[in-house]
Amino acid sequence: MKSQRFGILFSALVMVALVLSACGSAAATQVPAATAAMPAATTASTGCDWSKAKSVADCGGMDALIAAAKAEGQLTTITLAYNWCDYSKMMNDFGDKYGIVIADVNPYGGSKDEITAIEKNKGNKGPQAPDVLDIGPAYGPSGKAAGDLAPYKVSTWDTIQGSKDADGYYYVSYYGVMAFEINTTVVKDVPQTWQDLLKPEYKGQVGLPGDPRSSNEGAQSVYAAAMANGGSLDNVKPGLDFMKQLASSGNLLPLVADPGPIAKGETPVSIHWNYLALADKLSMAGNPSITVVYPSGAPVWGGYYYQAISAYAPHPAAARLWEEYVYSDAGQNTYVDGFCTPARMADMVSRNVIPASSITALPPASMLASAVIPSLDQLSAAKDFIAKNWDSVVGVNVKSGQ
Amino acid sequence: MVKVMKTKNNNGWGVFWAILGMLYFFVPLYGTFDFSLRAKKGVLSFLAYQDVLSSPQFLEHFRYSGIMGIITVVVSVLIFLPTVYWMYLRLPQARPVVEIISILPFIIPAIVYVFGLISTFGRPPLFLTLTPFRTDILITVGYVILSMPYMYRAIDVGMRSMDVRTLTEAAQSLGSNGFQVLFNVILPNMRIAVLSGALICFATVIGELVLGEFLVRPALGPYMVDVGRDQAYQPAAMAIIAWGLTWVCLGLIQIFGRGGTSQELVGR
Amino acid sequence: MAETLLEIKSPKVVDRSHSFDSLRNWVGVLPFFLFILIFLILPSADLFVGAFQDKNGYFTFANVIILLTDPSVIQAYEISLKISVITSIAGGLFGFFVAYAITMGHAPRWMRNILMSFSGLAANFGGVPLAFAFIATLGHTGFISVFLKQICFSNPSGAQTCPFDIYQAGFNLYSLTGLTLAYLYFQFPLMVLTIAPALEGLKREWREASENLGGASWQYWWHVALPILWPSILGSSILLFASAFGAYATAEALTGGFINLVTILIGDEIRGDVLSNPNEGYALALGMIVVMAVCVTVYTILQRQTGRWLKS
Repeated sequence: MKSQRFGILFSALVMVALVLSACGSAAATQVPAATAAMPAATTASTGCDWSKAKSVADCGGMDALIAAAKAEGQLTTITLAYNWCDYSKMMNDFGDKYGIVIADVNPYGGSKDEITAIEKNKGNKGPQAPDVLDIGPAYGPSGKAAGDLAPYKVSTWDTIQGSKDADGYYYVSYYGVMAFEINTTVVKDVPQTWQDLLKPEYKGQVGLPGDPRSSNEGAQSVYAAAMANGGSLDNVKPGLDFMKQLASSGNLLPLVADPGPIAKGETPVSIHWNYLALADKLSMAGNPSITVVYPSGAPVWGGYYYQAISAYAPHPAAARLWEEYVYSDAGQNTYVDGFCTPARMADMVSRNVIPASSITALPPASMLASAVIPSLDQLSAAKDFIAKNWDSVVGVNVKSGQ
Repeated sequence: MVKVMKTKNNNGWGVFWAILGMLYFFVPLYGTFDFSLRAKKGVLSFLAYQDVLSSPQFLEHFRYSGIMGIITVVVSVLIFLPTVYWMYLRLPQARPVVEIISILPFIIPAIVYVFGLISTFGRPPLFLTLTPFRTDILITVGYVILSMPYMYRAIDVGMRSMDVRTLTEAAQSLGSNGFQVLFNVILPNMRIAVLSGALICFATVIGELVLGEFLVRPALGPYMVDVGRDQAYQPAAMAIIAWGLTWVCLGLIQIFGRGGTSQELVGR
Repeated sequence: MAETLLEIKSPKVVDRSHSFDSLRNWVGVLPFFLFILIFLILPSADLFVGAFQDKNGYFTFANVIILLTDPSVIQAYEISLKISVITSIAGGLFGFFVAYAITMGHAPRWMRNILMSFSGLAANFGGVPLAFAFIATLGHTGFISVFLKQICFSNPSGAQTCPFDIYQAGFNLYSLTGLTLAYLYFQFPLMVLTIAPALEGLKREWREASENLGGASWQYWWHVALPILWPSILGSSILLFASAFGAYATAEALTGGFINLVTILIGDEIRGDVLSNPNEGYALALGMIVVMAVCVTVYTILQRQTGRWLKS
């Protein structure tokens, strides 16, 4: 009977599909095939528990670390977008050098996603649980307080300049400044100051780097606008007012200025961290042409990120080896390739280990030195304020066509 | 058989709405397509497509999602068809409860759900997140749940439009047991309904983002987002390619689902 | 085959649906409920439990209270409901007509095949690709906007007027209107897919009978077809409503920073780097479940009333 044949065909299809999927899983190179071995592998092979090691000396030095990491064979990173500080090169180089397979979860997530991923994956030793983090300033202390981070001081610890936890729970990795990213194929008259953004010629052309109610970059663009419009590190309201002006004049679009809309010309004027803007400029290679402008007439706005290791990392040795790599000259130079100013910049410049051509792509040292960077408390307070008041101050009241 | 009068009005309106529908489908896609051709400055070219297809990973991920799609369809039908049938026959009072359950996946945020799956099933003794195969089981379950609203509604509408009780009585009076009734009588009458459920179920799995991302499986959706978002033209090309491939698969499912029986989308 | 079966009445089968062994009736749906319990309810427990907890895990009603009193939350629900109602009605109507074209409307076979398979694709379309498709079509630099803007006529006075600039005329893709247009892209195919089987189920004989009795086309529809289809139409509408109500990625991609929707608010609370109260997010999601439960209840009542003369 026809339907019997139908039923048999269906079952056959299921069998075939299952077999193919099993084969397909084995062949999938992108995802590390998690070893079925239970979590005790690390301690068994080296006799030293790397998850408790606070520095490379604790467990026998660099060679022991490399051996242990190779034995683990995998690393799970999180929220490392490929052209963010050239993390794709960082991950590829690390993987090639040590033969460790890297899985990057949720490349476009935010810092909160990272902490959530740690907490939700606590018992899980699979590739879903992150080993290392790249988190915004607020999440360092809060992560430490929540017990999500593990302390570790890399061998180059002393040459890291900037904010780092005394116990080694989190440490600054790179800096950037807020800049304008302009699609100069579409926009011929490039805005030079924050006030310029209000000009009528930019009607319907300005985009933010993210929703200020949820995105770190988005919120900081508002914070930077505040500084440029009479506000201060403790008063972010002028930033909201500025955005409100931008919105009601029709200049500001509620569209996130991703590379797609920028290249399309839908948001040819956007605000981004300079390293992201410079990376876009590189990858678009003139199609369209991008100009990165450091807004004048206002304090330069700076920001940084922390590196940290998860307290529940399934691969503690690989995690620590990653940090050693990131803070090595090679790793920090990879940041430079990605237009991020590395935390060990001063030390590396003094030893002349950064190629001259790379340095010129970065903003001048003087700019960074004069950059305004909020304290953790100020940043948290400002973000809170922005999130709570964005809708009432700026939010367009949604009638159609407005 | 009485010849049905087909008035010209029918014909006109049908074509009108069909054209309107096709316009609505294809015009926005043209915008994406046009943009995807501009990867090379100043000329229209398929550069973005070459970039996308030169990576074997794109097709790998499509294959994975395609297979998972088929598995999800089969499991969905196996779960929901008997359930809805039973509900029609014996338990109409369960309907409101089942209705609410069926739309829960729309309302429960996927991010909450996926972390729930990990916390619940990633632990001992199941350890469903430790090996790719086990995670595949987990993700299949997730896909079945996520496509439940569509599959349930399709089967529900299909079953409603036929006289379930009478068919069952007739079949039973001819000696069939429950199983035979379901697969030999009910299912063939549900061809169109199951087919439309399968179409959208498959497309759901192909385009699904959150489960694949957070369970770290090589699904197509996360791949497209992850690789494309910091580029301008390649995401557009990837989208067109993915839709094209999915559409072909859906067409195949349609042909397969229709073939072998006289039940077709016959105009009435 | 179905027509002849209608005449057979078999005394062998007992109507069990109201019998005393109603407990046994629940056996058949037990696998389903177990499946749901284990694989949907259990993993989502965070939602149900966390809505009533504060940051430290203690029981509290605070999150629920915020739901009922915070004006921005209330506005979010209003806007979400508004766009859900609009798109489910508009999408329902459009989808109904397209489904009609596919099943009964004698559109050419190739058009029907394309529409059916593409509906499968489009019904699940959303997020950034959909938003981008509309941006590339109707955004400021979208090809339709640009095309229309370039249709210019010369005035008698020699000046050029270009009367078709849609943005000048007040259209804005980045508004509720634009979002509605984007939502419709996946709403109407969803309707097509779910109502097509019902339209297929309309028996030819009923149409013939109606015509034989002298009924015009509209009378057939009004007195015969629509009453039969009505429960399915309602059911599909609920699906469309829920689909729009729960839509997140599309809204975020198109109007992220400006429009206040419940799903976006939830996303901000649970995932955002700035707002940081996941418990409130859980409460908001629970609120959505309550809203949907109310809708389904209303739908069930309506359906029972209008479908009462149908056997199911």
